[in-house]
Amino acid sequence: MRKLIFISALLLIVACQQQSKMDPNINPFFQSWDTAYEVPPFMDIKDEHYMPAYEKGMEENLSEIDVIVNNSEAPTFSNTIEELERTGKLLGKVSRVFSNLASSNTNPQLQELQRELSPMLSAHYDKISLNEELFKRVEAIWQERDAIDLTSEQRKLLEDTRKQFVRSGALMSEEQKKQITEINSELSGLSTSFGQNLLAETNGFELILEKSDLDGLSEGIIAAASDAASQKMEKAETKEEEEKYNDKFVFTPHRSSMYPFLTESTRRDLREKLYNSYIMRGDNNNETDNKEIAAKIAKLRAERAEIMGYKSHAHFVLDNNMLKTPEEVYDLLTKLWKPAVKRAKIEIADMQAVANAEGQTFEVAAWDWWHYSEKVRKEKYNLDESAIKPYLSLDNVLKGVFSTTNKLWGLSFTEIFDIDLYHPDARVWKVTDKDGSHLGVFIGDYFTRSNKRGGAWMSSFKGQSNLDGRERPIIVNVCNFPAPVGDNPALLSFDNVVTLFHEFGHAMHGTLTDVTYGSMAGTSGPRDFIELPSQLLEHWASEPEVLKSFATHYETGEPIPDDLINKLLKASKFNQGFINTEYLAASLLDMDWHSISSEQARQLDANKFESESLKKYGLLDEIAPRYRTTYFAHIFSGGYSSGYYSYVHAAVLDSDAFEAFKEAGDVFDAELSSRLRETIYSKGSTEDAMDLFVNFRGRKAVIEPLLKVRGLDGSN
Amino acid sequence: MRIYVIIIFCFLFCGSLTAYSHNPEDFVIAEIERGQMNFENEEIAAEYGAALKRQRARRLAAMPLYKKFYIFIKAGFEHIIPQGLDHILFVLGLFFSCITFRSLLWQVTAFTVAHSITLVLAAQGLVQLRGDIVEIIIALSIVWIAIENCLYKEPSKWRYLVVFSFGLLHGLGFAALLTQYGLPKENFISLLLAFNIGVEFGQLAVLLIAFLLIKLILRKNWYSNQIKIPASIIIALVGLFWFVERIFQF
Repeated sequence: MRKLIFISALLLIVACQQQSKMDPNINPFFQSWDTAYEVPPFMDIKDEHYMPAYEKGMEENLSEIDVIVNNSEAPTFSNTIEELERTGKLLGKVSRVFSNLASSNTNPQLQELQRELSPMLSAHYDKISLNEELFKRVEAIWQERDAIDLTSEQRKLLEDTRKQFVRSGALMSEEQKKQITEINSELSGLSTSFGQNLLAETNGFELILEKSDLDGLSEGIIAAASDAASQKMEKAETKEEEEKYNDKFVFTPHRSSMYPFLTESTRRDLREKLYNSYIMRGDNNNETDNKEIAAKIAKLRAERAEIMGYKSHAHFVLDNNMLKTPEEVYDLLTKLWKPAVKRAKIEIADMQAVANAEGQTFEVAAWDWWHYSEKVRKEKYNLDESAIKPYLSLDNVLKGVFSTTNKLWGLSFTEIFDIDLYHPDARVWKVTDKDGSHLGVFIGDYFTRSNKRGGAWMSSFKGQSNLDGRERPIIVNVCNFPAPVGDNPALLSFDNVVTLFHEFGHAMHGTLTDVTYGSMAGTSGPRDFIELPSQLLEHWASEPEVLKSFATHYETGEPIPDDLINKLLKASKFNQGFINTEYLAASLLDMDWHSISSEQARQLDANKFESESLKKYGLLDEIAPRYRTTYFAHIFSGGYSSGYYSYVHAAVLDSDAFEAFKEAGDVFDAELSSRLRETIYSKGSTEDAMDLFVNFRGRKAVIEPLLKVRGLDGSN
Repeated sequence: MRIYVIIIFCFLFCGSLTAYSHNPEDFVIAEIERGQMNFENEEIAAEYGAALKRQRARRLAAMPLYKKFYIFIKAGFEHIIPQGLDHILFVLGLFFSCITFRSLLWQVTAFTVAHSITLVLAAQGLVQLRGDIVEIIIALSIVWIAIENCLYKEPSKWRYLVVFSFGLLHGLGFAALLTQYGLPKENFISLLLAFNIGVEFGQLAVLLIAFLLIKLILRKNWYSNQIKIPASIIIALVGLFWFVERIFQF
């Protein structure tokens, strides 16, 4: 009988077992994480833990800085620069978790917290970057730089650290600092207004249609427009307003609403109306007009750059980049401009031919582009997405990207199942190097959900450093692929596959990094360089040999037929004239706005400036810049000023880098692969980005491979 | 410049915090291009549930068979102890009705055979009945058995048939739980078997614990009226409460 009691007690224990290692009464950010690979203990972290951790993190960070500044010993690299690297651990710990989850698994509380934290953090970092005593120590080491024995990595860290202080105004007189502070606060207000105006203008316009206005639209699009109308009805405050949307269909200048309409609608008058509402945002001479704000921002930026000793804002920004001067950027953009416009003209002719064949008498205009290019696409590039998807199940694509990095660098990925992350759709792998050593942890969070921000990105939960022992990173990729329905596997479009490889390229940059100082690890390089490792990996996704190895039918296991691959590759060249022209026009506009002196910027009429600028380059009437001045939030509200060109610059680099593999005749050439890892993926920002590229390629990049990839070389 | 200071010092002091490509930090741009985020709690919960199911399936698929077998035994057991309070009460209802161990054995066997049949049929999608209806009748079955215990000294002749048909119903209840759990297509039959074994272990544990409690601690026979009647009344009341509650949720 005693045995029986024992057994039943045991059964009860087994049934009711529960486990928790962390002390639930203490904020998890204040405890050390003894989890596997130090993955954050997501289950224990609650929304209310962030703010106290941030507050304590900032406080600790400042007192650590005080300790460095108050050190009675003379400043040395190790007691100042290296110690700076060690500061802010708690702040980094909470920031990594918070900034990731506020995007990938967010809620209204986290978003509110984000708004609250943003000014607190910038004030905090201001305190450090404007700390004069700290700069004095850095400057003292800098002055002795040639006399002290530093590794090249240490030298670069010293240089970067000093440069950040200088760019924050450390070398300026009190008077100048005061001026800069004033300009900064005015600029910050203007940027915010620019964004708010644009938001109001985008949300302010709606095209309310009757049933009889829906010619050409497919069922899904109509349903979405009808939903939009019902949502407006629900929000309506008056009976009248409600009536306005009753049984109607609403389209807006949001791209997700506008593009499908422009593509499908056969009503040319309505296409024109919606298109114009989009390109006139911020340019309606009302209280939310952005013309004056943009001109003011440009002027203040120019003034600030001049105070800091630069010729223009562009000079100031580019000083930190791979392309160092506006001349280099203009040179690149104008070289690409001609072939892009040439291709766009051919595309216009193709569309005109379709329109003529339909018996239309008009000349194809900007608002016709989506409608007629779709007809050309169907005719010339006929590619059925639904025929491809069965070959592209998420699991097969992941196998494909893993095996690509295995063939390139000998990496292997083992999925770990007993770690709980922040959401059950997030998966985690252990990354092992060729020699069996632990390289890092990779988290993939691929499906879209309503509490995830749109788009795709790479980030990290833990950085890499060799300063105090070997620390390996935890990298995350977040995407918005459609979730599978029921028990079916998730099937991707080819665009999704390219996005997955792209983000995985960033992930490799963050994983293969092997540097001493964490601040120089992984993706810490300049903006016009960091898209190289990501965009480069995309090339393997479209390589037929690679594609065939992983794109196997999820039911039959058959590899994707050659015919489909050919169609797929051909379709990637569709509409490239348009895409490149609108992008380059916006990049040139960005450069023009930021290359002017404060004198030139005085009393500027934004529309006149824009149209003169675009006329100078010869932009076609049928194409508007990707962003016109009054809605170019990337440069007037976000952080991309004089930086919008970065995407195409990185594209030149990656196409040329991949060309090296093509020249070798083997996309997995052993010597090239290991050189690629050695010179680019492992280096972080420990050397000048241009040197990194030249070390790999043996010379600077040329544009021809990119023209070929995008079909701008006149071959089609 | 503030923007630069933030970006630069994030790099300097926290390592590379910034995320890249279609940068989610450009909230303004994202909001303009995609519209504001809309938090629908029901939708988020549904997405979470679906993701949880996918995660279980992935974790299961990666396990060796013996481990899967163990997991499903455990799942079956947990669906009795501690999750299946209504099944526990039903089994206790049977327990208190029997004078002899033999009669208890037969009743439990009838119940087991019956719920195994419907569990298999329902798991394969051959039988379907709305979950909320099943739940209501299960509550009713508990009341029935408990009242019968009070009215009759010995179980009636029809008792085995009644227990059998209630068993069929409880099987549907198990199946509903099992589909939530996600049964992988490969090893379907063996894992279904494992789940069922777990359920049997759970039932036996309930009987064992009840037996030990009464026999060893109270030093009484389980069929004595001092225990049988009050216990059955409590069981009937709880069952009745569930019945009413579930009717209102219906």
